[in-house]
Amino acid sequence: MGRFRLSQGLKCGLPVILFLLAGFVAPLLAVVTYSFMPPRSFGITNNPTLANYAEIFISNTYIAFYWSLLFAFITVSILTVICYPIAYGMVRVFGRWAAVITLLFTIPLFVSENVRLYGWVLFFIKNGVLLGSIRSLFGYNFDSLLFTKGMVLLGMVYVYLPFMLFPMSLGVAMVPNDTREAAADLGATRWQVFREIELPLSMPGAVIGLLLSFVLAVGSISESKILGGQVIIPITHDIEIAFTYAQNWPLGAALAVMLMVVVGSLVLIVLRRFDLDVILGKR
Amino acid sequence: MPGLNQRNRHTLIWAWTLAVLIFIYLPAASILLASLTSSRYFLFPIKRWGLVWWHKTFASLEVHQLFTTSIIMALCVTVVAVSIGFFGALAFARYDWRGRSFFQKIVLLPIFFPQSVLGLALLLWFNALGVELSWKTAVFAHLVWIIPVVTLVISIQVYSFDPALEEAAFDLGASRWQVFREVTLPILLPGVFSGSLFAFLLSWGNFPLSLYTTGADTTIPEYLYAKMVAGYTPGVPVLGTVSTFGAAIVLLGGYFTIVWRRGRRK
Amino acid sequence: MSSNSPIFELRQITKNFGKLTAVDHIDLVIAEGEFLTIVGPSGSGKTTIVRMLAGMETPTSGDLMLRGKRINDLPANKRPTCMVFQSLALFPHRSVGENIEFPLKMSGVDKRERRERALELLRQLQLPEDYYGKNVTKCSGGERQRVALARALAFDPEILFFDEPLSAIDYKLRKTLEKELKDIHRETGKTFIYITHSLEEAMVMSDRIGVLKAGRFVQVGTPDEIYSKPANKFIAEFMGDVNIIPVKSSGTGKLISPYFEESIVPPIGSDITAGYLVIRPEFLRFVSGKSDADNVIAGKLYNEYALGSRVQYQVRVGEHVFIVEKLRQQAPAAGTDSGVMIGWDAKDSVMVGN
Repeated sequence: MGRFRLSQGLKCGLPVILFLLAGFVAPLLAVVTYSFMPPRSFGITNNPTLANYAEIFISNTYIAFYWSLLFAFITVSILTVICYPIAYGMVRVFGRWAAVITLLFTIPLFVSENVRLYGWVLFFIKNGVLLGSIRSLFGYNFDSLLFTKGMVLLGMVYVYLPFMLFPMSLGVAMVPNDTREAAADLGATRWQVFREIELPLSMPGAVIGLLLSFVLAVGSISESKILGGQVIIPITHDIEIAFTYAQNWPLGAALAVMLMVVVGSLVLIVLRRFDLDVILGKR
Repeated sequence: MPGLNQRNRHTLIWAWTLAVLIFIYLPAASILLASLTSSRYFLFPIKRWGLVWWHKTFASLEVHQLFTTSIIMALCVTVVAVSIGFFGALAFARYDWRGRSFFQKIVLLPIFFPQSVLGLALLLWFNALGVELSWKTAVFAHLVWIIPVVTLVISIQVYSFDPALEEAAFDLGASRWQVFREVTLPILLPGVFSGSLFAFLLSWGNFPLSLYTTGADTTIPEYLYAKMVAGYTPGVPVLGTVSTFGAAIVLLGGYFTIVWRRGRRK
Repeated sequence: MSSNSPIFELRQITKNFGKLTAVDHIDLVIAEGEFLTIVGPSGSGKTTIVRMLAGMETPTSGDLMLRGKRINDLPANKRPTCMVFQSLALFPHRSVGENIEFPLKMSGVDKRERRERALELLRQLQLPEDYYGKNVTKCSGGERQRVALARALAFDPEILFFDEPLSAIDYKLRKTLEKELKDIHRETGKTFIYITHSLEEAMVMSDRIGVLKAGRFVQVGTPDEIYSKPANKFIAEFMGDVNIIPVKSSGTGKLISPYFEESIVPPIGSDITAGYLVIRPEFLRFVSGKSDADNVIAGKLYNEYALGSRVQYQVRVGEHVFIVEKLRQQAPAAGTDSGVMIGWDAKDSVMVGN
């Protein structure tokens, strides 16, 4: 014994690892490198500078950050309230229908975001489905409801709902039935069973749902563009502008790096504490 | 369990869920309605119904080109993602090895990542490498986030796979290749099937990654977006509806296939 | 079981998993055609030994000989062995018939022959023929056991391993399957190597039993030997309820024990001067006087338990409890809390050193 052999697991994982190195790690490193390049330059061979990061704070671009984070936070809070009853229902109420309902919630995921948001545009626009109906039924003429902060939030809640719902369902499914019944048997009221048993035990799933939807919401861009016009500019939009109109790739890169740092730290902190095997169903 | 309020509670939960489902499908309904007008503009309630824009869209050469691009990309993504993701799932869920928990977290990272930022990062990277942007670079971009998703989906199936089955087959005289072909692959096939569905649909409907990495080629989502921000085009609701229904049909078809196959084994 | 030629020989076999020694330099000779059971508590290493014999683990050191040839590195699919796993490992995506035919398919047997052989095995294992196309997940526990066995027999191995196959089954079915296994062993004449944690199960079926503790064999012998001449306290206790009395030599050819005043006549032939005296519950009897048995002690009837055809009595002698087991018909007349005398003959006791 003692021959050097790659473990079976490593052999299987190698293609994925190599691909992610080339397609995920490397580009992100490129972005980091770019962020230290002189403003408005191209290529990565120039002398490193912190000018871009300085620019972010001087020009108040970081306010866009604040908006992105705030909206993501509000979205996630709303989603938690909306999704928990549904997640609960998936596991304990719907019975045979759970699979169909899951399917119904899954289908929109595969339609491009833009198309789905566009549907909302058609719904809320002047003479659109909602306003047009109101006008023809009641005779009231409203202006388009689009291009408000509320609209953007609606869009975000809409788009990121499945990402909160599915991990939460996994979490609720993790609460063993007999534990709940035992608690009730020992005198706990329905609310107490929920607070003492169901909530803590479904936490891992709920937290992953929170994390996933928050991270994705921070990176959202379509909702504010399509439904919000220019009413808020999220950080992703600033990044895009820097890369396209402004032709200032290093600045865009610096903004992206900051976003990545925020997102990355959150993800690592949270994922660290979870044993994925248990959550995903290893026996 | 206190049964007095349970019925009310369950009714409420049903009602809430159905309400949310309606909320989810309102946009799809709006688009469908918009596609059924024969007028150039969208006015609700619809005065002039007609399928004229459906005819025009399906006849359009530009649309055919878009379909071809999107489908070819989705097929490439599916094949590569499932091949790599299958083994990734084995590494994720089956074998015990030293780097495993680190591997699990690394695989998840691209999923927990804002896609627009990923798209831009890839744009930068391709540029730094001097690679010309085309649908091929977009396929690569799609794979960066779809391979982890497929890995995860197949892993869920792998978790319930009993390794004793492979050992038993080996013990009964099968060669390593026979074990894989007769036992491992057939049992994991449902997971592979789901993974393929996911890969195809996620690539088909992807926008942020395509936007930055397709270069001169265009996918359907990109086309729709360009038309959307330019103002109202009647063709957009048609394509949008096709997209939605297409995804629904593929998914439902996949689901019923799985159910039918499971039923066949009885 | 006559002196058949050895089929398997383990010479100083050791298996380490990192720092953990699961199997510690064991020697064992397995005769062809015998039914050998390896018994031990969880973690004693029994599954590891069998996995090494089957080829699923390689020994860290030592020699594994199959009919005189060293096979340490021979892969499992090339050995004339077959294992029935604890979980049975039936292929869920294949029917009963396809499961049974699997080894035949692997070695290239054609369809018709395979089917014939599978039906033959179904009959041999008392499964209805129309189970051929049935999905294995729909079979009951006992049926699945039989399918797993049929599949192993289809491979036609010379040696069959059984890894605690009956541990998850209810009592009645287990008893039935134990008898059936014994019958199949007799019919096929193959070597059976069986693992269990229950010594009782081993006693029913085996030609020989090897008791394993912490990776080493503490005793290997026939069921009778293990039962009536346990090598040490561990094995004596492993069987279940038994009376174990710490004793030492009194110097006058008798034994004394801290448990009671009377001195004890030891069994003949034991030269152990300090250790334990082992008396099985069924060898203790209720007596009326000191001359009714070699050894008689006085105590109080404390409790009784009905165990089907036998009754178990707990007799308090001083601070210690003796267990007496009698058939129903031999029950004493006394009631609980009454004084009784129990006795045994020296030949029915065993001395163990530790």
